[in-house]
Amino acid sequence: MGLFQTVFRGSDEMYFKAEEELNKVIAELGEDAPMTMPDTAYFLACIYAYLGQKVTTLGELKTALASIRAMMTRDNRTKSIFDSGVATAMAAEVIEATKYARTPTPYEGTQYHGHFSDAEVRELGVPLVTRDIPGFVVMIGPAPSVEEAVDMVKGYQSRGIFVFMIGGIIDQVHSAGVNTGFGVRCVPVGPDIWSVGHVISLVTRATMIFGATEPGDAQAFHDYTMARIFAFVNAYAPVDDIVVACGAGAIKMGFPVITNDDHDPTWPVPKSLIVYKDTKDWIETSLEARDIKIKITNIDIPVAFSSAYEGEIIRKKDMRIEMDGSRVDCVELVQTKEPHEIEDHRITLEGPDFDQFEVGEKIPIAYIVDVCGKSMQTDFEGVFERKFHSFLNCIEGVMHTGQRDMIRIRVSNASFDAGFRARHIGEVLYAKIKSEYDTVVDKCQVRIYTDPEKVKELRAEANHTFDQRDERLKTMTDESVDVFYTCILCQAFSPSHVCIVTPERLGLCGAVSWLDAKATNELDPNGPCQIVPKSRMIDERTGRYEDVNEAVNKYSHGALEQVTLYSIMEDPMTSCGCFECICGIEPLSNGVVIVNREHVGMTPMGMSFSELASMTGGGVQTPGFMGHGKHFIASKKFIKAEGGLARIVWLPKALKEQIAERLDESAKELYGIDNFSSMIADETVCTEDPEELLNYLTEVGHPVLGMEPLM
Amino acid sequence: MSEITNTFITLEEMEAATNRLLETAAAVGADTWQQRVKNQTPHCKFGEEGICCRICTMGPCRITPKAPRGICGCDRDGIVGRNYLRFTAGGAATHSDHGRNIAHVLYLSKDGGDYQVKDPEKLIRIAKEWDIETEGRDIYDLAHEVAETGLMEYGKPFGIQRFLKRAPEVRQKVWHDAGIEPRAIDREVSQSMHMTHMGCSSLPEALVRQSLRAGMSDGWGGSMMGTEFSDVLFGTPKPVDTNANLGVMEEDMVNIIVHGHDPSLSEMIVFYAQDPEMVALAKEMGAKGINVAGVCCTANEVAMRHGIPMAGNFLQQENVVLTGACEAIVVDVQCIFPALGPLSKCFHTKFVTTSPIAQMPDSDYIEFNEATAGENAKKIVEMAVRNFKNRKPELVHIPQLKTNATVGYSVEAIKKCLDGVTNSHVDEVNTMIPLIQCVKSGVLRGAVALVGCNNPRVRHDYAHIELMKKMIANDIIVIVSGCSAQAAAKAGLLSKEAKNLCGEGLKRVCELVDIPPILHMGSCVDISRMMILAADIAKDWGIDICDVPVVGCAPEYMSEKAVSIGNYVVATGIDTFLGVNPYTKGGPAIEGLLQGSIKDWVGANFTVELDIEKMGDDMIERIEEKRVALGI
Repeated sequence: MGLFQTVFRGSDEMYFKAEEELNKVIAELGEDAPMTMPDTAYFLACIYAYLGQKVTTLGELKTALASIRAMMTRDNRTKSIFDSGVATAMAAEVIEATKYARTPTPYEGTQYHGHFSDAEVRELGVPLVTRDIPGFVVMIGPAPSVEEAVDMVKGYQSRGIFVFMIGGIIDQVHSAGVNTGFGVRCVPVGPDIWSVGHVISLVTRATMIFGATEPGDAQAFHDYTMARIFAFVNAYAPVDDIVVACGAGAIKMGFPVITNDDHDPTWPVPKSLIVYKDTKDWIETSLEARDIKIKITNIDIPVAFSSAYEGEIIRKKDMRIEMDGSRVDCVELVQTKEPHEIEDHRITLEGPDFDQFEVGEKIPIAYIVDVCGKSMQTDFEGVFERKFHSFLNCIEGVMHTGQRDMIRIRVSNASFDAGFRARHIGEVLYAKIKSEYDTVVDKCQVRIYTDPEKVKELRAEANHTFDQRDERLKTMTDESVDVFYTCILCQAFSPSHVCIVTPERLGLCGAVSWLDAKATNELDPNGPCQIVPKSRMIDERTGRYEDVNEAVNKYSHGALEQVTLYSIMEDPMTSCGCFECICGIEPLSNGVVIVNREHVGMTPMGMSFSELASMTGGGVQTPGFMGHGKHFIASKKFIKAEGGLARIVWLPKALKEQIAERLDESAKELYGIDNFSSMIADETVCTEDPEELLNYLTEVGHPVLGMEPLM
Repeated sequence: MSEITNTFITLEEMEAATNRLLETAAAVGADTWQQRVKNQTPHCKFGEEGICCRICTMGPCRITPKAPRGICGCDRDGIVGRNYLRFTAGGAATHSDHGRNIAHVLYLSKDGGDYQVKDPEKLIRIAKEWDIETEGRDIYDLAHEVAETGLMEYGKPFGIQRFLKRAPEVRQKVWHDAGIEPRAIDREVSQSMHMTHMGCSSLPEALVRQSLRAGMSDGWGGSMMGTEFSDVLFGTPKPVDTNANLGVMEEDMVNIIVHGHDPSLSEMIVFYAQDPEMVALAKEMGAKGINVAGVCCTANEVAMRHGIPMAGNFLQQENVVLTGACEAIVVDVQCIFPALGPLSKCFHTKFVTTSPIAQMPDSDYIEFNEATAGENAKKIVEMAVRNFKNRKPELVHIPQLKTNATVGYSVEAIKKCLDGVTNSHVDEVNTMIPLIQCVKSGVLRGAVALVGCNNPRVRHDYAHIELMKKMIANDIIVIVSGCSAQAAAKAGLLSKEAKNLCGEGLKRVCELVDIPPILHMGSCVDISRMMILAADIAKDWGIDICDVPVVGCAPEYMSEKAVSIGNYVVATGIDTFLGVNPYTKGGPAIEGLLQGSIKDWVGANFTVELDIEKMGDDMIERIEEKRVALGI
């Protein structure tokens, strides 16, 4: 009996299992066999993080396992259970890694997710920063009943908590038909307790990516996770020794464990190991234990509303009705009105409601959000509109894509059956606009139209508005404005990173344009977006300003002394880790390669997105590498100091298609080149051979070949 | 005060600062304790062993192998035992008289007066405990009845001390069975004097038993009243940030040092130092303002209630004068060196005595009367302020050593901190259970109460600081009071930063509860708080106090009060480690009881260990033994 002895026994158990599995795989493949986890630049992330060891072969994994064993000390001091606990998590990673030593897809065809890619880790960056994901729960073992398992998972989802499931609870929720997966923030990680290694791997990578933590400095990882990663564990009884050992590791990392296993009176430890029999009350108990406060927006709709549903996909067979802007008229719009024109919280519908259409029918829709307020500016209209996508996606059983008049909205059968109707779109938009922009929006009403003629008319009107806005945006250049803005929204995770947002360079996450930053500053003058004057220019070519340097210095708390706005080589802007794209120089061609987060393949630099991304992030300045938003690529200020976007030699095809139009336009304007995007290679031309790339560039007469060497 | 604070200050840095001040002492021809220790060495061996008897005029008798008995026939154990009991009675009388004074102040409290009830909630709690009617009563009416009832505890003809009921029932039974439940406080002191009169007790068991009972009358009687009534009058301490070490003195301000034990004087001094009229006067005198800092237990009292900085502990009382920047050192009672009189004459410093209990040559005596407290205090402050211009600039040197400290962890405050780590779905609040859970699980191994004075027999503060560091590194939480608390503060160990010196378990507790690893519980009279804390832990755990993995330690103690404390701490069931021998070496039967078989009476005893390193190991071992006995 006794907590310490339980942890010691459990960590032994995990270690011996790891040793056994590793010996087996070495016997099969040999010590020289490569040991890589797919889609990550961080090796075996737990081992890399806590021990600083880069494991690339099974032999190296064996060496690492010896170091893990050495950490499992047996003194009757908390240090011993903490170290043993962290070592247990690493031993779990070893066990899981042995599966990946044999095949990169050991969980294919199963209900389990297994390893997380770097792209998935990075995808968490923005929602963690904005607290759309207020925390993570790791649920272990079967819940007392299927019903309870489902209630818990849904309860967490409805609060935006990201759910990782391990063991019996997975079968439980699947048997009840719960939709799981990374997209809906409810991941069935694996059947055995050692699959927790994948969760800790995700945690350590998030720490490296967003916190610029030095691999091998274990305490720095623990400090970061305790202060900034709001995770906790729910472990259902009976809790085995091995689970308790993992729990000790979790507690060391700052993650409390809640369990209903009360057989040992020495277990409870305040705010760390909470023994509580009432499993149905675990959600609120857990949130309190980890100091997670959920911002609750009460929205009067018949289905759940949570960021957990943001990635939900509604397939055709599950769909009741669809609003498809590519086939019928659809439009979404925000308009500033005079106060007397608006009745707050009025939601109107003109035309038939959802239940008056055929099942599966494509219907027209227009929803116009009228707002007014003393500090409201027409410039904010587009800012609010861009948020509609995430607002509507948070509705359970509703999927929204696109913007303006090219939107597609699907409503699932289940949500329709629950009573979801057109006016509920209005309820959501009203509630979110009023809660997120309460300092500028005094009154808000939503008008919804499904009458085809009326929608057609409104669409035409809206397009006129959109054209005017685009015109204004086009004239909005770095030179035409008086101030830039900082954005330090990410500092909760990446304490030394500062974005400087300009009209022609949006935030690297892609989510904060200059107008967004301006609006944020108006909404919260002491908030993350602060005004940066631009009166003291030092160098026009690189975009170097005295004011900008002062701002980054101040807001990075001295970590960063200077940045340029338009150079990748000279003091490039840093990144937090949640950038949409990473750009790196390709030495052979003297050009740059850009790869977006979604792209999983190789690049001609011989590095994947993950590997390139690991070169920067966490506020570290790495000349030659730069994280940025997708929309920055076609900007006339894109690496202007190095000659501009003509340097781009390679882009993933999907990304290229997305930005081709604007890119070609800018190239024409800057260099007089037509159809520039076709000169840029992609994975259909070459995947990782720079020679092939160079041949292609020569063939198409890419302008980079006539430019000055980069280095 | 220097703007910069040091995270931690080493003993060597403090010693270097003292050495620099001793240079000033040499320059002005001042006498210091360092010199007087040399003068007094070697000490009288008979005295050290406790075998010198001068209780009657037939002697003095001294025990040697050739003369094993005194003239009356008393043997070495009889002599050692009597001396020990008288020593204890001296301490019990002192602490309890301090308590009595506070009770009198409470009796004088009135709405709008110099003294008011600042914690009526606590007053009502005590009244209810004592079965005094509280409903619908004027708070001062109630205060006066509580004060009077408290005062009766000193001389009541029948019954035992009221506060004993605060202990777990099992402990109350231990006291009853051991025959050490204290009756009226004065009676226990008187009886101790009587028992040790020529021709009374010489039976070791009887003398030791009465020592325990006299100690109990202090800890669960006079001292506890001193603490409780001080809280009622001046507020129950809660965590407050302050600074410590000599760097808290301000070169460009009027420095008033308060020294002693009784907060009823220092509270008034603190109040009048902020008086606009006095501040204006200070500016007129060329100072930037008035800075009050404390020495000894008065420092603890004002630090934990007002955040007044702590200049130093017992063996630094001369140092504050040696800075040349002390306009007045204002003292009340206990632990005041008579040396301050002649020393102050070497500087411009006013040495102000205020109590009829502590009158000394070469001092300005301004009698402090509770009825005219404000007036007296103002006069003292004014005297100090006017003295600023007499400073001799060439003698001014303030060592730039200053730490941050968080002080004021009363039992009430500790419970409130612990509430912070409870979960509203699972736990009750206002209990010791979070702490008990930490100990049961092993995250914390136990607790040590480090208390007591300084004593030139031990390198100044060395034992306090080294033991504290050793305990916290081993996940043992430390509670401190008195000059031990100041040693911790001066070294930076009362800052939350000190979590970085802890083992991982205690470090995590500090982070979650947001406390320093060493909790400042107050002055020496506040060791009664520690008794309540231990009692509450035992009650919430459902065990006797002697089973809780906690030990007490006074590694550098010197006073009679400390010996009285030791007796009640042990009698409460807490093993106590002493770093200085209480003059009992010459009486093997007495030592056999104190360091041995009283464990059969009260479940705890003393360990005397002069090797500090070994003492630390022994304390940890004792805590681990108690854990094993509990099966945790």
